[in-house]
Amino acid sequence: MKHIVKILSLLLAVSAFWIGLLQAAIIPPGYNTWLLPIYFVVSLGCYGLLMVGLGLMQFPTCPQEALLLQHDIAEAKDFFKHKGVDVGSD
Amino acid sequence: MELADRAVGLLLSSISLSIFTYYTFWVIILPFVDSDHFIHKYFLPQDYAILVPVFAGVTLLSLLCVFIGMVMLKSKKKKA
Repeated sequence: MKHIVKILSLLLAVSAFWIGLLQAAIIPPGYNTWLLPIYFVVSLGCYGLLMVGLGLMQFPTCPQEALLLQHDIAEAKDFFKHKGVDVGSD
Repeated sequence: MELADRAVGLLLSSISLSIFTYYTFWVIILPFVDSDHFIHKYFLPQDYAILVPVFAGVTLLSLLCVFIGMVMLKSKKKKA
C-alpha cells in the first residue's frame, strides 16, 4: 500500500514541476506546447508495444523438451502414488 | 502453438508501427505541408492530435484504477 502512495506522490511532484516550468513561459503559450511531450510519450508506448510483438514472434519453443517433461511428470506421479502420497488432481 | 504466438506478435508490431508512422506524419510532417495539399484530407485537424492520446491515456489510467480497486475489494471480502 505504501508503495502506491510513494509512486503517486512522485508522479504528482513531477507533474507539478512540469506545470511550474510551463508557467515560466519560455515557449509560446497555447495548445501547441503539449504536442512534443505527448509525441514522445506516444512513441515510447509504441516502442514498448513493438518490443513485445517482436519478442512474441521470436519466442523459442522446445517441443522435444516439452515431451520429455510430460514423461517426467507422469513418472513422478506414478512413483508418488505407489508410495501413498495423494497426487490425484487431474 | 507457436503459429498463434507469431500471428499475435506480428499483429502487435504492425499496429504499433502504423500508429507510430501515422502520429509522426500528423505531428511532425503535416505542419510543413501547404494547406491545400490533398494529403490533409486523410488526417484529422491538429487539435485531435492532442486530444486522442490524452483521452486514451486517461481511459487507460481509470481502467487501471478500477481494476486495482476491484482486486482490493475482492481480497478484503475473502479475508472477512
